[in-house]
Amino acid sequence: MPTAYKLNPISGIKNLLIGLWVTLRHLFSKSITLQYPTERWEMPERSRGVVVLLSDKETGDLNCTACILCAKACPVGAIRIERHRGDDKRWKLDSFSIDNTICCYCGLCQEACNFDAIKLTPKYEFSSYDKASLIYDVNRLQDLGRDVDYVPTAKKAAPKPVAAAPAGDAATAVAPQAPAAEPTPTVAPMPEKPVEPKGEGE
Amino acid sequence: MNEATPSQYSEEFEVNMGPQHPSTHGVLRLMLRMNGENIVRATPYIGYLHRAIEKICENRTYAQCIPLLDRFEYVTSMASEEVFVLATERLAAVEVPERAEYLRVIMLEFNRIASHLIFLGTFSLDLGAITPFLYCLREREQIMDLFEMTSGQRLTYNYIRVGGVAYDIPEDFLPLARKFVDTFQHRIDDYEAILTQNPIFLARTKNVGIISKDIAVNYAASGPVLRASGVKWDLRRDDPYSIYDRFKFDIPTGTVGDTWDRYMVRVQEMRQSNEIVRQALDQLPQGDYKTKMKAVFKPPVGECYARIENARGEMGCHIISDGSTKPYRVKLRGGSFCHTQLIPAIAPGMMIADLVATFASLDVILPEVDR
Repeated sequence: MPTAYKLNPISGIKNLLIGLWVTLRHLFSKSITLQYPTERWEMPERSRGVVVLLSDKETGDLNCTACILCAKACPVGAIRIERHRGDDKRWKLDSFSIDNTICCYCGLCQEACNFDAIKLTPKYEFSSYDKASLIYDVNRLQDLGRDVDYVPTAKKAAPKPVAAAPAGDAATAVAPQAPAAEPTPTVAPMPEKPVEPKGEGE
Repeated sequence: MNEATPSQYSEEFEVNMGPQHPSTHGVLRLMLRMNGENIVRATPYIGYLHRAIEKICENRTYAQCIPLLDRFEYVTSMASEEVFVLATERLAAVEVPERAEYLRVIMLEFNRIASHLIFLGTFSLDLGAITPFLYCLREREQIMDLFEMTSGQRLTYNYIRVGGVAYDIPEDFLPLARKFVDTFQHRIDDYEAILTQNPIFLARTKNVGIISKDIAVNYAASGPVLRASGVKWDLRRDDPYSIYDRFKFDIPTGTVGDTWDRYMVRVQEMRQSNEIVRQALDQLPQGDYKTKMKAVFKPPVGECYARIENARGEMGCHIISDGSTKPYRVKLRGGSFCHTQLIPAIAPGMMIADLVATFASLDVILPEVDR
């Protein structure tokens, strides 16, 4: 057994008082407590909260082109997209839903998107008593995104003017590692689809 | 392990400490064989927080692994991103711009400070001192705010990417960071005034849970636990990664290897990290924060091990690539796992209250143990 530490009573009392002096000083300093429901933080611009779908500022239509890059970039498979080929050979969106119960708010969908269609906003108050109500469909996502201000930075949308992107803006960064568009099925594949066995020896 | 159930005549008995015990900092279960108040044998049982991170990584692309690895060591998420990204970059021979390296170092050192603040707060809380916990968390909030304005999140940053960092720092980051660095050294003086020479604190920590140099080395301890035992080993100096060879910093070491030494080493490390951040902020160059990468990232066939000095010791990542977009195998190494093994070696003869202090001083977090 190691020997117990021997205390010196005089220095002990002195150091106790030094510590109490620090707490006394803090007692009269400004409180940092934020009374949450009545006061709120101002969230930074890049803060990643609830996912929304952005609409065109003029027409009010969704920016989404149903390319499913976001669904492929999503690490947890929270995004489900159903789509079909329209008469003009373009993809038409049938349904778009985000499961907020499994979304990990990593922002990879926003970086994969080339059309300013999906964005993580600083809104954070969307708790619910009901799990099912946390699966947002396309209307809910669009409504959430209506008042979201964004700088159009679309790289591939021809009709829209391409604005000069401010350096370091979150919306301008495109994930270089994002999987490229492949010939796509009509239903977005979920990333957790069973992978082929990798061989033995694991 | 229980060959005989203790009868009522037996003096020894068994106590389950955890998994739901506030001093185990997570979900560690310790089976303690007690003789009165003294511990005869302590056996840690782990696995309550196992999430198969290594296995899930095999089903994800390299970019998708990074948000998952934030959950590997969630107190210093930047480090768990960095170690994976470092291994991937060495594997694929990716060049990282100068500015990105500096931003990474700033974030890593800020995160080390935040982690040590959590240690300091919970450690003093376990010893019965509530005030330092509140002060430490207040300072940690400021670091979290800096992270949030840069990466967008407070805990799971997804910031360090293959080939650089995700975003450049915003405009108001630099003044706020400088302000923090300048005030923080005085904050450490406050913590030390409350704790370091406090007689109650000394009685609880001095000569408690001594880990000798031999035991520390033989049990593969690393980081502050190893340095508190008197071994001057720091991967930032001994196996420099990123740009750590450009900064001047000391490596604080302890002498005895008791709980007080481990506390002291971490407090000194916070001062050193603060100095590293100050130097990095001064030297921060202009330029790109990210290399242009191909749309589909495929590293060549091969394998690579990278290790970094985390707040909890050596953190390592071994990646085997089969040339596809997903890693074939990812093996993660965390310092906490090795430090949990130390408990059976040092616990016998201790009292339960001392075990709480010792375990808190090891600064084990369970997600890193179980992965």
